Amino acid sequence: MSRFLIRRVFGALVILLIISAITFGLFYAIPRDPAMMSCGKNCTPDMLAQIRHNLGIDHPIPVQYWDWLKGVFVGRDYGSFGNCNAPCLGYSFANREPVLGTILDRLPTTLSLAFGAAIVFLIFGVGAGMLAAVKQGKFLDKFASSASLFGSSLQIYFVGYIAMFFFVAKLGLFAQPSYTPLSEDPVSWFSGLLLPWLTLAIIFTANYTRMTRSQLVEQLSEDYVRTARAKGLSRANVFFRFAWRGAMGPIVTVFGIDLGTLIGGAIITESTFSIQGIGRLAVDSVNKSDLPMLLGVTVLSAGAIVFFNIIVDAVYALIDPRIRLA
Amino acid sequence: MSFSRRNFLIATGVVAASSSVLTACGGSGSDSKSKSKVPSVSGSKTQEIPVGTKADSVGPAPEVKGAVKGGTIYSLDQFDMDHLDPAQIYVSTEGAITVPILRGLTGYKIDEKGGATLVGDAATDAGTMKDGGKTWTFTLKDGVKWEDGSDVSSDDLRHTFERLFASFITEGPRYVQQWLEGGDKYKGPYDGKKLDSIEVDGKTITFHLNEARTDFNFTLAMRGYSLVNKKHDTKEKYDKKPFSCGPYKIGARSIGKSLTYVRNEHWDPKTDAIRNNYPDKYVFQFGFELLASTDRYIADKGNDQYAMSIFNEVAPERIAQVLTNAKLKQRVLTEVDTVTYYWPINMTRIKDVKVRQAINWAWPHQQLQTIRGGASTSELATTILSPVTPGYQKFDLYGVTKKPGGDAAKAKALLKEAGKVGQKLVIAYQSSDNSVKSAVAIKNALEAAGFKVVNKQVDKSTFYTQIGKVDNDFDLFAAGWSPDWPNGYSVFFPCWSGKNIGDGRSNYAQLNDPSVNKAIDAAAKITDVEAANKAWGEVDRQIMELAAVVPDYHSIRNWMHGSKVGNVTYDSGNTCVALCKLYAMK
Repeated sequence: MSRFLIRRVFGALVILLIISAITFGLFYAIPRDPAMMSCGKNCTPDMLAQIRHNLGIDHPIPVQYWDWLKGVFVGRDYGSFGNCNAPCLGYSFANREPVLGTILDRLPTTLSLAFGAAIVFLIFGVGAGMLAAVKQGKFLDKFASSASLFGSSLQIYFVGYIAMFFFVAKLGLFAQPSYTPLSEDPVSWFSGLLLPWLTLAIIFTANYTRMTRSQLVEQLSEDYVRTARAKGLSRANVFFRFAWRGAMGPIVTVFGIDLGTLIGGAIITESTFSIQGIGRLAVDSVNKSDLPMLLGVTVLSAGAIVFFNIIVDAVYALIDPRIRLA
Repeated sequence: MSFSRRNFLIATGVVAASSSVLTACGGSGSDSKSKSKVPSVSGSKTQEIPVGTKADSVGPAPEVKGAVKGGTIYSLDQFDMDHLDPAQIYVSTEGAITVPILRGLTGYKIDEKGGATLVGDAATDAGTMKDGGKTWTFTLKDGVKWEDGSDVSSDDLRHTFERLFASFITEGPRYVQQWLEGGDKYKGPYDGKKLDSIEVDGKTITFHLNEARTDFNFTLAMRGYSLVNKKHDTKEKYDKKPFSCGPYKIGARSIGKSLTYVRNEHWDPKTDAIRNNYPDKYVFQFGFELLASTDRYIADKGNDQYAMSIFNEVAPERIAQVLTNAKLKQRVLTEVDTVTYYWPINMTRIKDVKVRQAINWAWPHQQLQTIRGGASTSELATTILSPVTPGYQKFDLYGVTKKPGGDAAKAKALLKEAGKVGQKLVIAYQSSDNSVKSAVAIKNALEAAGFKVVNKQVDKSTFYTQIGKVDNDFDLFAAGWSPDWPNGYSVFFPCWSGKNIGDGRSNYAQLNDPSVNKAIDAAAKITDVEAANKAWGEVDRQIMELAAVVPDYHSIRNWMHGSKVGNVTYDSGNTCVALCKLYAMK
C-alpha cells in the first residue's frame, strides 16, 4: 500500500508540474500586462519598468516559470510589493497580496460547500439508486428514475433562485445563504449552507441515483450474484457483500472526480448564492485579469482532482477485493 | 470624481433593457397609494455646498434624531474597494466607504435634509487663504488622535502631502501635486527630502501654490487628501490597511470578501463635526450581484434588515417592482448624481467640426436610455455639466429634446456638406452585456446617418489605459465624469483643458482649443462664485459648439436598504450613502 501511495503521489506531482507549466505558458503568453494594471492611471514608463521588475515579468516566460516554481519551494521576494513565503503560488497584483493567502482564506468556504453537498448527494443519490435497483420495474424504481431524469435536467442557477425565492424570501424556512466559519458558530454554518447544499445536491443526487441504479442492476444480473443466491445466501448478504461492492467502483471513481471539481470551485453555486469561495475567486480573477490568482486556482483545482483520484484508487481495494494495488 | 471601472459598471453593466421598467416607473403600482413619479435630474436642485464657519467645524456632529448606539450595519455589495490608501483613492465608492476611518483637513458636514457644508475636519476651520488663493493655511484641532492613541502631529500633516509625490501613488487625484510650488520636481519624502512649499509650524500647515486657487479647501475635502500616519506608513502596503484617525478602524479585512470596521476608542467626537458613530460595527460584504442584493433587501430577513449598499443599486430587473411598491420604495434612497456620462470624440482623428456635429445629431439617446432601464435610472444629457452641478446652463445644440432618437437626415446633410459621407468611425466600448447592446444601437443610428462604423470591444481592465493613450486608434469612446468638488473647474480642467493632454490623462477627447483653454483659465481665476458659475456654463457651451463630445445621460441612482437601518441619507461629497449618519434600529 505504501509503495502504491508513494508512486501515485510522485505521479501526481509530475501531473501538477505539467499542468502548471501549460497553464503558466498559456496565461502569460496572452497579451495582458499585469504591470500596467498594477501601475494605475498616473503611470510613468519608469514606474512600469520597476513594477515589471518587481513582479519578475521582465524575463522570458521559461525563466518566469522557473522563478514561479522556485517560489513554491523557497518563497519569493517581490521587491516593494513584499515577500511571499514558501509555498508561494505567486503574487496577486490586483489584491496586492500573495495568491496562497487568498486561496486559503476562501478554501474553508468551498470545502464546507463541497463536503456538505457531497454527504447529501451521496446519501440520497446512492440510497435512491439502491432502492430503485432493488425494486426494479416497480413504482419506486419508476419514480426514482423519473425524478432523477428531471433532477439531472435542472440547472443550479434556476433551482437556486427559485429555492431562494420560495424557501428564504417567501416562506422563511431557510436562512439566507451565507458562510460562517464552523469554528465560529456551527449553527450559522449549518443553516447558512443548508440551501446551497440541497440545491447542489439535487443535481448530483439525480446523477448518482441513475448511476447507482444502473450499476446495481448490472451487478445483480451477474453470474456470481446468481451463484451466491443459488448457494442460499440471504438477499441482503448477496446485495451488500457482492452486488453493492461490485457496483461501487465506478461510483467511487466519479465521486472522486466530482469532489475534486467541486473543491476546484463550484462557480455557479457560489455565484448563485453569493458565497465567496474558490469558484467566485476564479470568476473575479477572470474579470480582473488577475493571472497569478487564476494560475493558483487552476493548480489548486488540478491538485484536488489528482488528490481525490489517489484516494479513489486506494478505496477501490477496500471495497472490491478483486482489485489489488500493484 | 474620476470615472472608474466601477463607475462604468454603474453606468452600463447594471442597467438592463426592460420596457416594463419604462412604463411601470411612470405610474404607481398596484398596491401603491403613492403617486410616485420618475425622479428628474433637470428638476433637481443644484448641489451648492457653502463654506461653513469656524463654529460649524466644532464637534461633536449634530445628533441624528431618534438614533441609538450599538448594533452592526452590514453592506451587500458587488466589489471590494481597489484602494484604501487615501492617496490612491479617487473613486466615489472608495471615498464613501473610508469616511468612518479617514479624516482630511476639510470635509463635508451633512445636514438632515441631505445638504452639505464645507467645514474643517481635522482642521479647526475650512482654511484661510491669502494672496488671492495662492497661500492657504489650516490649523489642526486639538485632540485628533490615531487609532493607537498617539496625536496627529505636524510631521503627519507634512508627510500626508509629501507622500502624494511618491512613485507608488498612481491612482489618486493630482490637483495638489500640480499646484504646490516645486511639486514638478519633487519625488516624495522617502529619500529624506522636504517640499519647501509646505510649511508646518506647530499645529499650522501652510501651502504655497503656484496659482491662485480659491477653491483649494474644497480640493482638500477629497478623500485622496486624507491624513496618513508617518510612523505607520507602510508605502504600497498601506493600501491594504490604512491607519485610522476616524471613529472606526479596520477590524478585519479579507480582500474581495469582506471588510469590518470596529470602534476606534481613541477618536474624540468633540474633534469631529462631520461624523457620528452609532453602530458598534460595520461589516461590508462583497460578492453580491445586483439581483442578489436587491432580492435580499426585498426579502428583508435577518441581518439583511441592517444592510445597505455602497455600490449596489436596485437591480434593473427589480426597479419597476421596487419603485412602484410603496412599502419597498420607502426603503430606497433615490438621488440624482452629479456625473454625466458621455462619449468623447477623438479630436486628433475627427478634425472636422461638421463631422463631430453630425455624430451629435445622429446620436440615439432614447434607444440608449431604454437599454439602460428607462427614465427611472437616467435623463438624457445635452450638456457636459449635470443640472445639479453649479454652473449648469440649460441648452440643447443638437436637438436631443425634439428628436431624442436622433436626427439622421440632419446628420447626413452635415456629412454631405463636409464631403465626408461614408466617414469611418471606430468606436471603443467595454465588454459588458449592456455595452454590446448600446454599441449596436449606436452603430445602427450612425450608419443610418451616413457613417461607416467599426465597433471594437475593449477589455475592461485596460479600457481606460487604452483610451487614455494619446496615440490610440479610436474615434469615439464611452466615458464620464463627476465633479471632484462642486464647481466647473474640477470638470473642465481635467477633461477639457489642452494642458491636461497626455498618456493616462483624462482629457480623452484630446481637445486643445486655444479659446477653450483660455476660457477655462479665465473662469478658474474668478473669485465671485456666481460669475464663475456663469463662466463655466459658457465653457460648457463652447465645447459643445465644437462638438468634442456627445453627452449621453445624467444618472439617477437608487439604493435600497434593510428596514432596520436608520437615517439613510445622501453624502453629496462622495455621491453615496452617508455611512457616518446611519444607525441600527433596536
